[in-house]
Amino acid sequence: MSALAAVAAWLQPALVVALAFRITAGAPDAPWLALGALIAPLVAVLADGGPAARNVVTAAASAVSVTLLLAANLLVAADGALLLGMPRWLGAALGAALALAAGAWPSARRVAVPALVVAVTALLLGPFAVAPAGGGAPWNAWHRSGARPALTFPERSPWVQSGKWFARATTLRFTEGQRVVTVAAGIYRVVEHDAAPPTVREWRLAAGDTLTLRPGDELSVEAGARLRFEAGRRVPGAPASGAEWADAPTRGPHLLPMAVGALLTVLGGALALVPAARRGPTAVFGPLVLLAATLAAIGWGVYAASAPDVVLGGALPAPLLLTPTAMLGASGVPLALLTAATLLLLLAVTAVALRERLGASASMAPQLWLAAVVVAAAVALWPLDAWRVLTLALGVAAAVWAPARLATGSSGALAGPIVGGMVFLAVAALPTLAPAAPAWLEALARYPALVAAPLGWAAARALPPDGDREAPTR
Amino acid sequence: MSGPRGRRIGIAALLVLLAVAPVLALAPAAPGAVRIAGVSVLWWYAALLAPVVATTVAVLLLVRETE
Repeated sequence: MSALAAVAAWLQPALVVALAFRITAGAPDAPWLALGALIAPLVAVLADGGPAARNVVTAAASAVSVTLLLAANLLVAADGALLLGMPRWLGAALGAALALAAGAWPSARRVAVPALVVAVTALLLGPFAVAPAGGGAPWNAWHRSGARPALTFPERSPWVQSGKWFARATTLRFTEGQRVVTVAAGIYRVVEHDAAPPTVREWRLAAGDTLTLRPGDELSVEAGARLRFEAGRRVPGAPASGAEWADAPTRGPHLLPMAVGALLTVLGGALALVPAARRGPTAVFGPLVLLAATLAAIGWGVYAASAPDVVLGGALPAPLLLTPTAMLGASGVPLALLTAATLLLLLAVTAVALRERLGASASMAPQLWLAAVVVAAAVALWPLDAWRVLTLALGVAAAVWAPARLATGSSGALAGPIVGGMVFLAVAALPTLAPAAPAWLEALARYPALVAAPLGWAAARALPPDGDREAPTR
Repeated sequence: MSGPRGRRIGIAALLVLLAVAPVLALAPAAPGAVRIAGVSVLWWYAALLAPVVATTVAVLLLVRETE
């Protein structure tokens, strides 16, 4: 397989938009996730192919992982539809239809590689187009965003003028007083922390009602809620200042388990999804397209940070779909539409590549592909966090699917996935089984592959190659 | 250097490049927060230096093994 075709399953819309979102939001893990998203598939392309291990455990793991990956991408399609003013279900349904058709089209494999190059090139256009309005080169934009004294709602923000939707239920923490107007009727809960114990108030508000919030208040909103905020006030939930966005003061040695968990998840996920590539002069295009896609995601994330309210609603594609109009006004609409079309093209390429990976580990049966897309579409109807679904999918791939690639024989290819899968299930169930688990276990609960993947890989490598086993004695 | 050995060294180099990012970010005294030309060392490393070096290493290994 060519290096370009090998990386196609990796460069998913969910991964690209999640990286941009986390950079825009100033998430502490954004730098190493961005680097991991590039280096993990490079390691997988260079690693040995391993034995052609097909067994019932890897087949099940690949089916679960591919279904969750599709769900993460359909959740992004649903969030994208919401951002463009359409119902969420329509985005999920259109995305599912596209994934189903692309995966089932016999000639899709031939056009998938050129389509990937076109999509990544189009993704790179966005940062170049918004650069003049965003402070010039990305490093200048980063410096400008990092020097802001406070992250406030601009006058022209759609959150101020007409109100925007929240893609999922969230809790907003206010650090200064603000009057919030409800644009859509719904249930709103405010927790006031000015007295002990905190006072909880819950209202069913109609469109046009106003909530007055004081510093320290928390406002919980349902998925689909639509609110209007005051211009010039701090964006709730955003970093307090540019310096906080740039340097994330929550970073410290205590985050090390979380960082290792995230990187093991990404590395293991890539080992499962990205097969070894054919060597040769044309292989240079695989790493170059990975580099271009990563730099595009970083560029989008950095330029979108100049509009701190872009990520308020929690929709992952917001930095890519809202930044053009936030920075260029009405003239940014064509760029926003081009970016939406690019993400759809990337979804189609992803579907083709995932179907191929599923076929290599489980079956090419059209019924299996249909079932994966239907289940993924059903999952995407709920307003779940696409990033959590993506990390869960990569975690399953890292702990249960990847050990088969690292095994030296068929017994290791069976034992590794069994060990990885059992540990993954046990660790993933920790928050349910022990809700009062200490805080240091949070990294395990968030990234079960932190423990499950190394154990699965060790079990896969511990068993001898097929040729080394003693012949059975009669 | 043989193909498999070169590939193993290349993969180790890539993993070291990856491991440096959380070390820069999480080490006490936050060395990654030092600014060079207005941008933190962490972001120069994670968004420019390491990606370019990693891509170069991968390209060289993928092309070299056919020679």
